[in-house]
Amino acid sequence: MIDKKQETTSSYSFQTYALSEQAITLEFGNEISEEIAEQINSFKELLSENSFPGFKTTVSAYTTLTVFYNLMEVLTSGLVGATCFEKVSNYLHQLKQTTYQSHRISKPGITIPVCYHEKFGFDLQEVAKINKLTVNEVIQIHTSAHYRVFMIGFTPGFAYLGGMDHRIASPRKSTPRASLPAGAVGIAGNQTGIYPLKTPGGWQIIGQTPLKMFDIHRDQPSFLNAGDEVKFKSISLDEFNDWPCR
Amino acid sequence: MQIEMEICFYKAGIQSTIQDLGRYPYLSQGVPLSGAMDSLSARLANIAIGNSEELATIEFTYAAASFVAETDLLIAYGGEGVLLITGNLTLPPYRPLFLPKGTMVELQNNNKGARTYVAIAGGWNAPTILASKSTYLTAAFGGYHGRTFIAKDKLKNDKNWSDGTLKLFNQLQGKEPKFTKWGILAKSFLPDDNSIRVVPGREFSWFTSNSILHFVSSSYKIALNSNRMGLNLEGAAIERSKKEELLSTAVAPGTIQVTGNGNLVLLMTDCQTTGGYPRIAQVAAVDIPRCAQLKPGDNITFKYISQENAEQLYIEQALDINILKIAINDKLQ
Repeated sequence: MIDKKQETTSSYSFQTYALSEQAITLEFGNEISEEIAEQINSFKELLSENSFPGFKTTVSAYTTLTVFYNLMEVLTSGLVGATCFEKVSNYLHQLKQTTYQSHRISKPGITIPVCYHEKFGFDLQEVAKINKLTVNEVIQIHTSAHYRVFMIGFTPGFAYLGGMDHRIASPRKSTPRASLPAGAVGIAGNQTGIYPLKTPGGWQIIGQTPLKMFDIHRDQPSFLNAGDEVKFKSISLDEFNDWPCR
Repeated sequence: MQIEMEICFYKAGIQSTIQDLGRYPYLSQGVPLSGAMDSLSARLANIAIGNSEELATIEFTYAAASFVAETDLLIAYGGEGVLLITGNLTLPPYRPLFLPKGTMVELQNNNKGARTYVAIAGGWNAPTILASKSTYLTAAFGGYHGRTFIAKDKLKNDKNWSDGTLKLFNQLQGKEPKFTKWGILAKSFLPDDNSIRVVPGREFSWFTSNSILHFVSSSYKIALNSNRMGLNLEGAAIERSKKEELLSTAVAPGTIQVTGNGNLVLLMTDCQTTGGYPRIAQVAAVDIPRCAQLKPGDNITFKYISQENAEQLYIEQALDINILKIAINDKLQ
């Protein structure tokens, strides 16, 4: 559970390494944790408010934030360092001296409607059986927790959500399905996620959301972003079918 | 001022798509970079006809393709995959080519490379989707309706004409195919050495020293199931000394991952934005275009260089390309 009232002052802690000539990765640790996710998210915002010449974009992951930049712009910038990697690395290390206010009330949670009807929850029975629960208990547990988006990856808009209750954890399918519908909600190990596009996939599928998780016609095509807080809400088959703008 | 041009595909080829230099701004949302696999050839083809280097090109994979000029055309092509021919005439690469309306252009295999880029005066016309005209086949968006070309597709040029492009057109225009006496010497941008230069990856120390030695001393074969997402490499399996699981983190084109069974995957431009396999190496950015020209069955060898060296190579190439642009600009004055 994410404590919404907690507010602390701490400092950033990371090491840097070059991913490529035009990307530097900041490593905040080596295990999945709320604290690290909070640091990554907060540093990402700090960097977007204090970017450097040549800065392009960032990619968040479980324990890393990767910063992409234009090498030639960094080269001709006033940043200090023997190489472009050093110039950017020095800049980021300087920026990390800033202490940050960890305020977890900034973002309102996002509620995602999911239809857990057997028509969509292909593996709901299996997940229940693995965990010695009833199907309704699985749904109840899945809709009770607060989740955090740790990472977007795999396909455009695919959000890896952490914070799932261990009682419904399930291994991946031994053989991935050749095609899953867009919106399929799945479980893999201790994670849950939503397939934004019709793609192959190996997660245990427990339901489907009527929301478009990825849409190239939106300014922000991905519905979820790294750092977002998410809850699931169970909807009926009728509600699913009547969902506007499907 | 610009002139409308159009082609019609007669044979569409194995995988022909529109590609520019890709879409950076959406990496954070899991959208791959995409763009030309051999970005150097695509840039040089554009530069040759006075275009900006980032305009959309057609990326052809191998040969087996042909198109008809529905109007007069001013094009240039680059890459090592094919030679363009019309009738008995071989059209030289990296050079402005004028083709009169009705010309049939065929792509003839030369077995040297895999991909060819055709640029047209003003760039190819396609909607800009998520900051790029590149086709991303997996999610079926970008380029020409999010797909590869098929026979009878028609494609027009765009309106981004430079003064130099117009001058070239006027200079070459006529009733016969014609090209300039000058061209770009693309070889001057590539090293003589065949090895692909790589920088040690973050998880370099996770592999046995024998495996690392293998990696740089033996050759790997490009597997048949290679594509725009990545090249699968066949050869000595890489063994791990550290069994730890890697938490998924950002990867980039050029990242060489080692899969669970010790196989190597060299990620290319349509690769996922994150990955969970340990990374033995990162291909120097200047050598990624060379990887794009490898065909299944080709062999590849690797050579380690330092991060500083890779950066220096990138800077030198960027400066060389700038000099080239100035030189061509002068010619088109």
